[in-house]
Parts: sequence; structure tokens; C-alpha cells
Amino acid sequence: MSSVLTDQQNDLRDAISDLMAKRSPEAQVRRLMADDSGHDTAAWAELAAMGLLGLTIPEEFGGAGAGATELAVVSEQMGRVLLCAPYLSTAVLTPYLLLALGDPAECAEALPRIAAGELLATVAFAEAGSARPPERCVTSAVADGDQWTLTGEKTYVLDATIANRFYVQAHCDSGTALFAVERGAPGLSVAPLTTVDQTRKQGRLTLADTPARLIGGVGKGAAALDSALDQSAVALIAEQAGGAMHAMQMAADYAGVRHQFGRAIGSFQAVKHLCVDMLLEAESASSAARHVAAAFDACEPDRLADLALAQAYCSDAFVFVAATNIQVHGGIGFTWEHPAHLYLRRARTDAQIFGDSNWHRERYVRLREDNS
Amino acid sequence: MTDMTDDDVRGEVRAWLADNVDPALGRAEWSRKVFDAGWSAPSWEPAWGGRGLSSAQSRLVAAEFANVGAYGTGADRADMLSCTVRDLGTEEQKHRLIPPSVRGETRWCLLYSEPGAGSDLAGLRTRADRDGDDWIINGQKVWTSFAKTADYGLLVARTDWDVPKHKGIGFFIFPMRQPGVEIRPIHQITGESEFNEVFITDARVPHANLVGEPGGGWAVLQLALAYERRLMGDLARTAKSTRDLKPDADSLIGMARAAGVLGDAHIRQEIARAESLATVNRWNTQRAKTTTDRTEAATLMALGKIAMSRILHETARIQTEIVGPESMLTGSDNPVGDAVTFRTLNAYFTSIGGGTDQIQRNIVGERVLGLPKEPEPYRDSAFRDLPH
Repeated sequence: MSSVLTDQQNDLRDAISDLMAKRSPEAQVRRLMADDSGHDTAAWAELAAMGLLGLTIPEEFGGAGAGATELAVVSEQMGRVLLCAPYLSTAVLTPYLLLALGDPAECAEALPRIAAGELLATVAFAEAGSARPPERCVTSAVADGDQWTLTGEKTYVLDATIANRFYVQAHCDSGTALFAVERGAPGLSVAPLTTVDQTRKQGRLTLADTPARLIGGVGKGAAALDSALDQSAVALIAEQAGGAMHAMQMAADYAGVRHQFGRAIGSFQAVKHLCVDMLLEAESASSAARHVAAAFDACEPDRLADLALAQAYCSDAFVFVAATNIQVHGGIGFTWEHPAHLYLRRARTDAQIFGDSNWHRERYVRLREDNS
Repeated sequence: MTDMTDDDVRGEVRAWLADNVDPALGRAEWSRKVFDAGWSAPSWEPAWGGRGLSSAQSRLVAAEFANVGAYGTGADRADMLSCTVRDLGTEEQKHRLIPPSVRGETRWCLLYSEPGAGSDLAGLRTRADRDGDDWIINGQKVWTSFAKTADYGLLVARTDWDVPKHKGIGFFIFPMRQPGVEIRPIHQITGESEFNEVFITDARVPHANLVGEPGGGWAVLQLALAYERRLMGDLARTAKSTRDLKPDADSLIGMARAAGVLGDAHIRQEIARAESLATVNRWNTQRAKTTTDRTEAATLMALGKIAMSRILHETARIQTEIVGPESMLTGSDNPVGDAVTFRTLNAYFTSIGGGTDQIQRNIVGERVLGLPKEPEPYRDSAFRDLPH
């Protein structure tokens, strides 16, 4: 197993970096923050054309069949610029979920359309109180012959207001399962949530006897969802590492040019040391993200413990770096017009959406305990 | 450099060891054999116990020696006296000082830090006053390992008080076994004594043992320190020494289980936190070792010391939480508390030794992030005028 990038992966990184510079400059991020859809269809089409929407989708379903390492490379660049797009929900979480559920018909129908940029899809699992899948799922599924209907409420649903299709976790008599619900289905209402991070839109679904299609089998849902969240976390922690790297560099650059008392503030040890602490956290997050991606590609036996540790670490590291960046900037960092706070908003959201650091640390100890 | 391949080198050293290793040989006799065969300092010229190999090949030789439990190689990386003299000494100094040092017939120690010159080493106040063919040395040095067994000390002392501090320092190969050199062990907060203070009163060093110019010692010292850092890096990369530094991955869980607190939610969080620091540092080191980007590797290596300090302090802190009141107790009848207290106190070895974490942050901030240095108001002042 190696966490060193190949030439091809480096080329991929450079290509994404160029694309992000073009498609996601700060002005565009701010425009999309204020836009209800939070999403630029022209940029999305370009991501599709470059094969990025089908990056991890197998070739038989119209994708590139790339691994976790490539996904991490792409996500790191997206995280650096706070790309506003339903990438994590549609191009990462949904494909991993459908593949884990092993429903060939749904894969054949949905994955090629996702890769082509024709279908926006998201996964609705969280219920009030936790951003992780609920231990006891309240949303219920009832069968009437082959026809299922869902009733309940799902929240913290990524990109809910623009998704054409929702994969909804629900509970029925014989276990948990995932169901496809189409936008506009009877009894479905989608409300946007007012989010701290306006670069990642979220929504709440209310389902009342809403018709739905069972995907995969009953009883497979919980395990498939957990597996999809683990694989998608590889992308999330790489985004966190990318965001942390960018925020760290912002602080170091500013400390080198901002003068007070006749000298650059970065010459004061109190400021210099903050910057070095940020560097340590950002570089460590980056190493963690790359290691975990390589561990997933190699199916390392310790990969879940490594992920749990890395996810807690990257969450805390990004929050620390983004917060300290504001401090280093001083007054200008306290203004809405300066981008420093956008990174803190993103960092605080990323530290929750797939479970908080405490949850991941507890998971780590549980996995280690079982092994010792 | 020769054009031997790595396989040639391995083959030759193995064959030589097979032919020559003889438990009946005394230390001096063995060292001379190793020297004459060019294995003492494989990357150097034959005159200094080498055979012109690359430094990577020198490591191969060391690995082969280690495999058969033989000693006597690696002076090109570990012998600070010879490394420094070979680069900056006169021909006379090289012939007189290098061969016996490389063969282990003479031993050296380092006389750099002083009670008043730690982080600011260039502020040293040990005097060197010229007296005919000798220099007379007066002052006090600290943190010297192996002072009692050393024949020479690599000594920096002030030769000129009327120039800025970096410009009035001489670098000497100072004879340790003489009147006027008093060695006292330093009692460390851990109860151990690995280091000494060296008090020097009217002791002499021949002018012939000055390396470089009388005011040129700072540059010589930088070279000697670079060799020392390279050696420390080598040691940190070998499994044997990192085992001491790296807390065992499962030890916190095992310790908490033994103490009956593994079910405590707070302790579980703290365990994962400490282990994440150690694990992430391991991933950093892996990335540094495997990347082809030299800037990336240098950045990660420079951060390693700060990271290791935090790992050691944090791990000790969490161990203290785990053992609770046992941390009040010490001695062989209280092994649990004793070990935790030792780790707590010994963590300062890393966060202070070899440059404090604060100095290391300055270095990383300036060299990696390109942040400006602190202004130095006394940069151009004579050393004698500095406040102290």
C-alpha cells in the first residue's frame, strides 16, 4: 500500500485545480451561497464532461471506475475552494450506496445518468437528534403488495432542494431498507434548512404515505448505508484537509504582508507559532486523508479504525485551522466580506455531517477494543 | 565514488565479515582490521577508513554489520569529530585526529551549551584567550553526554569580545583529560543522570586544535550541528530507537482496562485523542519518506519534533488520568505510578532538548512558511556591549 500519488494522479490533481480556479473563485462561491439552488448547472456539466461525476462509478455503469485515492485527490481540490455543488451527495454517497445495496436494476438506471450529470440524487437517513443514521429509525415503510409507502421525517439531507431523487432509509416489520422516492411524489414535502454553511445546502423531508420503490433487499439497508458513509467519508476528510491547507496558507500569507509596529505580524512569535501550529494540523490532516484513501483502495484490515481516527482528527484540525485563521487576520477576519469565516462555517458543518468527532473517537476505541 | 552496485557492496561486506569476524579478537585489533578494510567510514577515502561508497551504500554496510552483531562501522555518520575535521580541518589535523577517532581509540563529547547560552547558543561566554601556541579556556558547559569517557570535547568558546556575537567564536578540539576540567553529573527531573556539567578553569588547548579561523567557529559549529541532526534523523528512522519514543498503540487501552476505567466515556475519548496524535504522526512520517517532492518531505520532517513533543506530553497526561491517584506514588513498589511520572517528566527531554519546541516553531515558521525573523537589535553590536 502506498499513499504516494502516481504521475496520473498528480495530473488529475492539477486538472481539477485548474478547473476549480476557473469554476469556483470566491465571487462564484458567494453568488451560489446566496442562490437557493446553491449549484451552477454549467459547472456541473463540465464536471460530467471531465468524467468527475462518474469518478467512482464502475465502467459498466458509465463511470471511470476510479478508486478512493483518486476520489480523495479530487475532493481535496474541491475542499480548498469550497466548491458549491451536490458532489458529495450525488456523485459520492449515492453511487456508493447503490453499489453497496447491490440492486443491479437501480444501478443500471441511476448510475449512468448520475455520471452524465442528468440525475441529481441524495440520501436521506438522519432523523432529529443525530446526523448519523438513527439507531432506531422512526420513518416507517409499509407494503401493499409490491407498492411501498413511507411516512416520517428526515433531516440534514444534503442538497435536498435540488435533488430529483431521494434514497430514503426507513423501517419496516422485517428490518431497515432503502427506498427511492421521486421529487414531486404525493405526500412528499421538501423544506430547505437555514444552514450556517451556505456552501452546502441541506433540507428536511416530510413523507406522508409517500409512494416509494424498495432498493436492494429488506434488512440490507443499515449495513449498506454504513458502508457507503465510510467510503464517502474518504471524500469528506480529503475535503477537510484541502480546506485546512487553504486556510493555513491564507493565514501564513497574510502574516507575511500585514504590518503593525513597523514589522510584518508574522515576525512576532505569538503569530508565527499560531501559523506553525496550523501548518502541523493541515499537513497532518492531509497525511491522514491520503493514508485512509490508500487503505481503502488496498482493503487494509485496519481501515475502519484508521478512518474513525482520521475523521475525528480531520474534523478537529479543519475547525482549529479555520478558527485560528480568523484570529491571525484580526479585524479584517471578523468581516463578512473576508473569506476567512466561510472556511470556519464549512469546517463546523463538515465536523457534523457524517457524525461528530466524539462519535468517531468512540467508534475507534470500540474497534480497537474488539481487536485486543 | 566507486561504481560498485549495491549488490556488489552487500556481497563484499558479507564475505569480508564471514572471513574476519572472530570473537577472540580484542576491540582495538578488530577496529584496526575494520579500518584497514575501509569499512569504518565506508563513504570516505581509504586514508580515513573508507572506500568511497555512496552514503546509501554506507547504510547498507551498517545493516550487514548489524546482521552479524559486529561493531565498528558508521563513523562517517556517527563520528562528529571526524565528520567536522574531515570537512574543515587542516591536513595535519585530519591525519592526527581522524584515524584514532574513527577506530574508536579516542572518544569525543560536545561542549556547546552553557547555563547562559541555551536557545541562544551564540551568546556563549566561555573564554578562549591566546597564550603562545595555546589557548587558555575558562567557562562552564552543560548537557554533555559521555564527558567522563571522552578524550576530546568539541568546544565552542569566545575568542573575540569586540565583534558581534556570531563573529567572535572559535571551534576547538579540546583535550578533556587535563587539570582544570571538572565533570559533574546533572541530576535530571526524572532521577536519571545522562548528562554532565563541565567546569573549565585555566585549561589549555593547542592552537593546532583550532578548526578554522579564531573567529570562524560559528560556521564550523553549523556544520557539526548539521551532521548531528542527520545522525538524529537516522536514529529516529530506525525501528529500535523509535520504539522508545512511540507509545505502543494498544497500551492506553490495556492500561485503562487494567485500571478498570475502560468503560469511562471521557477516558475513551482521551485515549482516541492521544492515539490519533501518534498515528497521524506516523502517517506524516510515511508520507515524508515516500514522497518524491523534496519540499513536502522537508516540511513534514521539520514538523516531526513538535508533533513528537505533543504526543509524549499528551500521552503522559492521559496515562495520568487513567491511573489517577497512583500517579502520586513512585519507586519500584509502585510501578504503575512510577512509569507514568517518568513519562510525564521525560517528555520534556523531547520538548526542550535539541532546541525547544518554541525555537523549532520559529525555525519552521521562517524556513517553511517564509515568515520574517524577529528583528535583532544587537545584530551589529560588539558582544561585550550586549545586556545579559
